[in-house]
Amino acid sequence: MGANVKNYPFTVSGSSRPRADADPVPPAGGARERVEISVLVPVSERPESLTTLYQEFSAPLRETGRSFEFLFIAPTQYRALTAPLAELARKGEPVRVLNVGPGVGETAMLKLGVQRSSGSILLTLPAYARVTPAALPDLLAALEQGADLVIARRWPRNDPWINRLQSQLFHRVLRGTMGGRLHDIASGVRGTRREVFEAIPLYGDFFRFLPLLAIREGYVVEEIPTPQHANDTHARVYGPGVYARRIVDLLGLAFLLRFTDKPLRFFGLIGAILSAFGGVLLLTLFIERLGGEGIAGRPLLLLSILLVTVGLQSIALGLVGEMIVHLNAGRRRIYRFRGTAPGTGPVADRRLQPASAALAHHPALERRRISDRRQVVRT
Amino acid sequence: MSRMAALPRLSIVVPLFNEEESARPLVEAVRAAIPADLTWELVLIDDGSTDATSVVVGELALEDSRIRFLRLARNYGQTQAMQAGFDAARGDIVVSMDGDLQNDPLDIPMLVRKLEEGFDLVTGYRARRQDRLMSRKVPSWIANRLIAWLSGVSIRDNGCSLKAYRRELLERIHLYSDMHRFIPAIAVATAGASVAEIPVRHHARQFGVSKYGLSRVAKVLADLLTIKMIGSFRGRPLAMFAAGAIGAVVLSVLCASWAFLAYGQPSFHTAAYVIPSIAVLWLGLAGYFIMLGLLAEVAVREHSGSEREELPLYREWIVTAKS
Repeated sequence: MGANVKNYPFTVSGSSRPRADADPVPPAGGARERVEISVLVPVSERPESLTTLYQEFSAPLRETGRSFEFLFIAPTQYRALTAPLAELARKGEPVRVLNVGPGVGETAMLKLGVQRSSGSILLTLPAYARVTPAALPDLLAALEQGADLVIARRWPRNDPWINRLQSQLFHRVLRGTMGGRLHDIASGVRGTRREVFEAIPLYGDFFRFLPLLAIREGYVVEEIPTPQHANDTHARVYGPGVYARRIVDLLGLAFLLRFTDKPLRFFGLIGAILSAFGGVLLLTLFIERLGGEGIAGRPLLLLSILLVTVGLQSIALGLVGEMIVHLNAGRRRIYRFRGTAPGTGPVADRRLQPASAALAHHPALERRRISDRRQVVRT
Repeated sequence: MSRMAALPRLSIVVPLFNEEESARPLVEAVRAAIPADLTWELVLIDDGSTDATSVVVGELALEDSRIRFLRLARNYGQTQAMQAGFDAARGDIVVSMDGDLQNDPLDIPMLVRKLEEGFDLVTGYRARRQDRLMSRKVPSWIANRLIAWLSGVSIRDNGCSLKAYRRELLERIHLYSDMHRFIPAIAVATAGASVAEIPVRHHARQFGVSKYGLSRVAKVLADLLTIKMIGSFRGRPLAMFAAGAIGAVVLSVLCASWAFLAYGQPSFHTAAYVIPSIAVLWLGLAGYFIMLGLLAEVAVREHSGSEREELPLYREWIVTAKS
């Protein structure tokens, strides 16, 4: 598989997903040094000058004295923007660019970036200045203090009211449907550890909801208020299609978070309600029929049968869902331990685990984390 | 290889959720109950407790190397906690029980003996159950009857957590959702296990509060439907959907013949629309069922032959010495 990956360095597929213990494969250019921090910049949605972005955001990182790299993942249509980065790289700046096809989504770009980078700490930035660069050291500090995922919340904000209104509405809906106390889930400025990112199942448009998925995996998620960047003042008004997609995303997420491994609970409940409603209507019609009234011509009869059949369809769909879940249950495990734990290895390995591994879980080791958890955002 | 010798023969798996008071008495009861000739380990899983359970269990694990402590990242529920314990257990025989002291570890040697008679799963039933009648016993009685009827696996008490398993069985069943309530049915349906049932002691709750309520009835019903499907139609889902389709076609034909017979009678003018429409609805449902069944067949076909496919449990009973 290794040779394959080298030939096609820019494909993301289930099989080329690196195992946690595997070395990230260096790109075709040859072996690279490992760095501590990888900054991933998926280029989409109104990008600005990437060289300016790099210069602004690399400065505070350089001050921390830790090694880092900037990895820009850009669809080909932004070649004009990524071209000047080559100049930086030639000067010896730790800048890399991965060009992808025009149709690649942001989630895929991020996953590719994670796979192709080497840092144990991952920072993500949107392709425009969103918060002040001083936020990055704060994110690193929070990660060191025990958070698994940190979000740079834009606060205080200085962009137009229309942006703030949208954001507030979105988060109100989010909190109402999924709980939690997050204020700026859409802030693309986030920090996490590599193993946390790799443990979160991510696909489709769900990079946006990464913090919610992290909370579901039992990770500690924090928001750090950081002043919004002075240049981030564009009013963001989108076409209706974009808003429709957000709503669809929310629906999908709400379903996924609650019913991924029990689809029949969802489809079955809907189906049972519809069928029961239809059944009650049928019963009333039947009673009327006993009273001597003709019901064959009643539209209500049609409605009640329609409800029953649609209800049965829903239940049947749920059963197919359960079948798929059952067939794929296999060795997939959804639980996760706090910290590294015994018993997490493959089934064949567990007989070799020493009994003393149990002590890895002593709460004394966790005390610091517990005291940190007071500020934890939870669903 | 030296570690292999130190492996316990018996693993006792106990999920704990907010059981800070029960944990220590539980461990003492286990220590007192297991005979000296049986090496054991006790795997305690803290399922995201919000009280001091993890502190208590951490101390217990430090005191006794036979006690292992797993701590889940959040509250995943009993099924996942049990699965975590099963995955970590190292013994050839695994016993699961509740952490609330309602099960008695004194029953464990008896379960193990029964398992060694040649069963894959021995499940306890609470002969004199110490729970409330209306909120616990009656729903449980109905649920057990339903499970027996739907799954064809007649177990008196599916809700009793005190069970003993052969390791080979646990490697073949994978618990998800809330399936821990249906382990015997799943074990028979998916692994072809042989199951025995023996009476066990049951005590009233000493500490803490019960974590169950009546609200789970709807969930249990949905799970039962799933078990029924998995048990009967795992390899041939089309058969199940075809049965539904036949039912729908019968209803459709009934409505169509009703309309046909009513044709020309004085009351027919409105019925002319409604009854044939209903016939078409049922016919549509039948077609939909067939399509869904075919889709499910695709899922099953994709599964068979893949590395996830698992063959039934077996014991080879004529063993010739290797030359």
